Amino acid sequence: MQLVTEAITSRKTMSSARPEDPEHAADLLARIAADQSRAAFSELFRHFAPRLQAYATRQFGNEQTAKDLVQETMANVWHKAHLFKPDRGSAATWIFTIARNIRFDILRKNKYRQHDLSADDLWPVLAEQNESLDDDYALDQDLLMQQLAVYCDQLPDAQRVAIQLIYIEGKSQQEVADALSIPLGTVKSRTRLAIQKLKELIHSDD
Amino acid sequence: MIKFHPSEQQLVEYVAGDLSAAMLITVGTHIDMCPHCQGHVQDIEEQLSQRLFGDPMAAPASWSANLDMMVDAIIKSPAPAHRSLDDSDNYLFLEGKRFELPATLARNYHRIGSWHKMLGKMWRAPVNLGSDEVLNFIYMGSGAQVPEHTHKGHEATLVINGVFVDETDEYRDGDFVLLDGSHKHTPQTQQEDCLTLATLDAPLHFTSGLSRLLNPFSSLFFK
Ligand SMILES: [Zn+2]
Repeated sequence: MQLVTEAITSRKTMSSARPEDPEHAADLLARIAADQSRAAFSELFRHFAPRLQAYATRQFGNEQTAKDLVQETMANVWHKAHLFKPDRGSAATWIFTIARNIRFDILRKNKYRQHDLSADDLWPVLAEQNESLDDDYALDQDLLMQQLAVYCDQLPDAQRVAIQLIYIEGKSQQEVADALSIPLGTVKSRTRLAIQKLKELIHSDD
Repeated sequence: MIKFHPSEQQLVEYVAGDLSAAMLITVGTHIDMCPHCQGHVQDIEEQLSQRLFGDPMAAPASWSANLDMMVDAIIKSPAPAHRSLDDSDNYLFLEGKRFELPATLARNYHRIGSWHKMLGKMWRAPVNLGSDEVLNFIYMGSGAQVPEHTHKGHEATLVINGVFVDETDEYRDGDFVLLDGSHKHTPQTQQEDCLTLATLDAPLHFTSGLSRLLNPFSSLFFK
């Protein structure tokens, strides 16, 4: 009990906010992504690692495997902090999904081999491309249209329509899906493919 | 509008990674197609992370001395392999048609085996999961019918594209149907064709008339 109090007090002297506070945790991740801040990572580690360790020890009943999970999860937090998107969920939830993926792969590695399903095949939490997607969508609309209007005409019809509805008419992807009676996933992939194509066109002009 | 969704329990097990591989892919594909379940999944992720991280606790005493070392080891560790998504393989081609695959299936494109004709206007392609689990694409041309059958185990069917009907309802893009031995049904297509993803944990059991003759061949639908 005393240990707990001490731990909390000493943390409080360092900073008024704690990693339990979602905004603060998100901020710590942002600092790791931007400046490789060791202090920010230490703070996250102190909060999340012991909890992961307790969880993984219960899960695996094996101290060493539990350590591996903590190590791998936190290594991804450190190296992949730039993949965290605060608008998608909390930092704790992001770290949970990383731990879930690593647990999944550890469990399955013991069971099967070669063609086995991996966590990445199911939940692309740590895949890079997913994220650049969001940056693409976040491109300033006017800028995009000024630079890209010329190229848009070169897109396949279905992709051009999606881009026009989203970037010119300002519809949401769901509204486009409804308007065209196609699945939301189709709208997303058309938009993504269109933006990829546009990027290629721009680069080929460089 | 999607009418049929996985149960709350299945969504929880999906988020936790505790479903079978075949069911993870099937439920994951439904989620790709279903904004309603996407919202649910986010809530469940939050709840599970709350359960995992929410309790107040201090690091074990032995940690405090080693904390700097542990942090150091991670900071100096090599970055995990760069993983990116290759989305060049988003389409299935069959019978002169092109079907766009939801993200989960596109990521597992390399697991899709070749198409074989089953009966009449039906085609099947396996999804290889590296285990003895069975996951198949089933394509029914328009006006096709699967003879009435029950299931010895569970059958989960997800409509990827198109429509099929049975005695009780009509199933469209994104609909997720889970049936067990207590259900008897005769899936069929009408004007439209239908591409589904189906997982079975036991062979179909045909129940009516001549189709009972199919029982020895039910592995056609199964493996
Ligand atoms: Zn749903």
